[in-house]
Amino acid sequence: MSFSDATAAVSDELAARDDIIVCDGIDKWYGDFQALKGVSANIKEQEVVVVLGPSGSGKSTWIRCINRLEQHQSGRIIVDGVELTNDTRNIEKIRSEVGMVFQQFNLFPHLSVVDNISLAPIWVRKRPRAEAERQARELLERVGIPEQAEKFPGQLSGGQQQRVAIARALAMEPRIMLFDEPTSALDPEMIKEVLDVMKELALGGMTMMVVTHEMGFAREVADRIIFMESGEIVEAGTPEHFFTNPQEDRTKLFLSQIL
Amino acid sequence: MTDTQTSLHRAATEKPPFYRDATVVKWLVQITTLAVTLFAIAFLVREAGDSLQAKSIQTGFGFLEVDPAISLGEGIDTDPATGGRALWVGMVNTIRMAAAGIFLATILGTLIGIGRLSSNWLVAKLASGFIEYMRNIPLLVHIILFFVTIAVVFPDFGENVDPITGEVSQGPWNGVFHVSNKGFSVPRVHIDNGFYQWLIIVAIGSVLGRWVSKRRQALQDRTGQETYPVLSALGVIAVFAAVGWFIHPIFGFVGDAIFAPIRDLIDGTPQGPVQILLSVAAGVVAALWIRRFLAARRTPGGAAKLTDDDWFRVIFAGIAATIACVVILVLWPGLSSWLINSSRDFFDVLANKFGDGRGSVGDDPPFSVSMPDIEKRGNFANMGPSGLNLTQGFAAVFFGVVLYTAAFIAEIVRGGILAVPKGQTEAAEAIGLRRSTMLRRVILPQAFRVSLPPLGNQYLNLTKNTSLAIAVGYTDVVQVGQTIFNQTGRSLEVFIIWMLFYLACSLTISVVVNFFNVRLKIVER
Repeated sequence: MSFSDATAAVSDELAARDDIIVCDGIDKWYGDFQALKGVSANIKEQEVVVVLGPSGSGKSTWIRCINRLEQHQSGRIIVDGVELTNDTRNIEKIRSEVGMVFQQFNLFPHLSVVDNISLAPIWVRKRPRAEAERQARELLERVGIPEQAEKFPGQLSGGQQQRVAIARALAMEPRIMLFDEPTSALDPEMIKEVLDVMKELALGGMTMMVVTHEMGFAREVADRIIFMESGEIVEAGTPEHFFTNPQEDRTKLFLSQIL
Repeated sequence: MTDTQTSLHRAATEKPPFYRDATVVKWLVQITTLAVTLFAIAFLVREAGDSLQAKSIQTGFGFLEVDPAISLGEGIDTDPATGGRALWVGMVNTIRMAAAGIFLATILGTLIGIGRLSSNWLVAKLASGFIEYMRNIPLLVHIILFFVTIAVVFPDFGENVDPITGEVSQGPWNGVFHVSNKGFSVPRVHIDNGFYQWLIIVAIGSVLGRWVSKRRQALQDRTGQETYPVLSALGVIAVFAAVGWFIHPIFGFVGDAIFAPIRDLIDGTPQGPVQILLSVAAGVVAALWIRRFLAARRTPGGAAKLTDDDWFRVIFAGIAATIACVVILVLWPGLSSWLINSSRDFFDVLANKFGDGRGSVGDDPPFSVSMPDIEKRGNFANMGPSGLNLTQGFAAVFFGVVLYTAAFIAEIVRGGILAVPKGQTEAAEAIGLRRSTMLRRVILPQAFRVSLPPLGNQYLNLTKNTSLAIAVGYTDVVQVGQTIFNQTGRSLEVFIIWMLFYLACSLTISVVVNFFNVRLKIVER
């Protein structure tokens, strides 16, 4: 089993499942700077993938390509059987299947918590308002802050805001969730409440791609860890393998610096 | 205790000389400022009075009651009986221009502002070209340019005279739609005698329509089936309006039964009690204000500790209330009788409008239509209550101020949109919102909050800029005022009226903008 082949580095049980995200040789330039260099990896259904790497290694760029917040210039991305092309219908379809949680929460400050969550179901899924609001309250229950429903984002703590952001993404009933450093902007005591919600999601069978620096979370929840540097996948493997028996020198260096 | 400590102790307890005492200094400054201001006003008024007397210029507002012997180009009354009425026509024209202008300039400015940010190259370049063209040329030039363009491009008024009958015709649809260098004219729908009775029926329909829409909405929320709540409400209102067209005389009793008694009641009110009531109200308002002021400064520890500034305000409130009482009771008893008379007149008008004697459906419909009427050659035909006119002067000023202000509003809107963090767009994209929904529900609401204060400034500018109407002879308040003081010589009085009028307009706009500013403020902890 080659560890630099990201797709192969999964357990046999996972390998039997269908691919839900296929990335095949994605390249991405910002001007002259190449942020992604032929990134290839397939994500299985209900798999939890944690992407690690030093800052500037292209991990955020990669997952932002998957729902077209960034546009890749060559290579193919296929999400749940739909290829990401310039066809706006495909982009819309993929975005409604893929939820995303940002480092800076990006809640809509002029809308109440319930309105934040029910916005997309009402305007994209065309649900009746009452039903969308009921669903929003259920989701708030699920992320553990039902009592904050009528408040505005500015009135919540960072951890609460991030949980609302997760609920907002879940409101579209996505099959895949992308997390772009969800705990990096949080105070230490709030990190746990967000990670708990994410663990809950993983246990519930959500396909997740998580960019994070939380090694504890990676070790405990991830099915696979992908390590990136300078826009390339350097090594991939199960958490066990990755933390105890890294193959590449760059991985060893990274681990020695953060552990 | 050492020497240093004793001297420090002494320095702390020693009272400073009065000119270094912060409290005393503050009060001295307040009182001096007040005295200087009052003195300056008194001086200016006396000087003005003296020099006016020396030049034997007469003063007084008598001209407001006198026939100005002028006729106005357009407005609610083109042949005003008094100077006051003439100025009122001018004010209505200004307000008409400003209100319509603010409405259109906001829509246009928002669209152009969005357009300038468009990823479509042509749209973006067109928008920025428009903005640069409009805002780099003075408004007066734009207005005159529009005025001249209309005169040159459209055919002469009264060009087509029937050689036999001598009748003036102006195309393209004679009697209905006219286009000429004097402007455009189309038929006008206006309120007729039966309108107010009909309005009662429509009001009942609206209440019922609202109830229906709520019920339909509830049904939709429960079952998820489309029930068209807004459409059904509009349908109910339309049915009431249609039926009301034929049965509105049944509400003819409202004027006599409701408004006439109120009018008589007010008419019978003696002046004395009203004076006392008003002065008591002034006292109560001051007392309530002081109480709220003190309550706002109450600390959890108990009573408020007031600064000198606070004391000054409290005392000032008291003085203001006293002055108000003196004015109401002694100096200007006319104020009370004016209040009584004007509210009586108000209800008299209501009693009249809602009254019966407008019984028959055929004679007094809610609305009627008047056609453009071309009578006099060489003059714009549609003066007075005939067609709905867009005169050359109105069009020039209107398009001038609207397009000019729209350019500035576009820049404000663009700034507002750019001020919304990029993360908001990304979050909206990530949850699958389409561009139009994102713009309407996420970006513009936030951009609007940033834009509101500078937008208010543009509204003030637009309103004040309508005074440039004088350049093309549109009868706004400045143009009418100037005509009047040329005829009567009462320039100072007209200036005072102008200033008070524009002040009132500006304050109204500020109040409205501030109201929204406070209401839309994003809630922070």
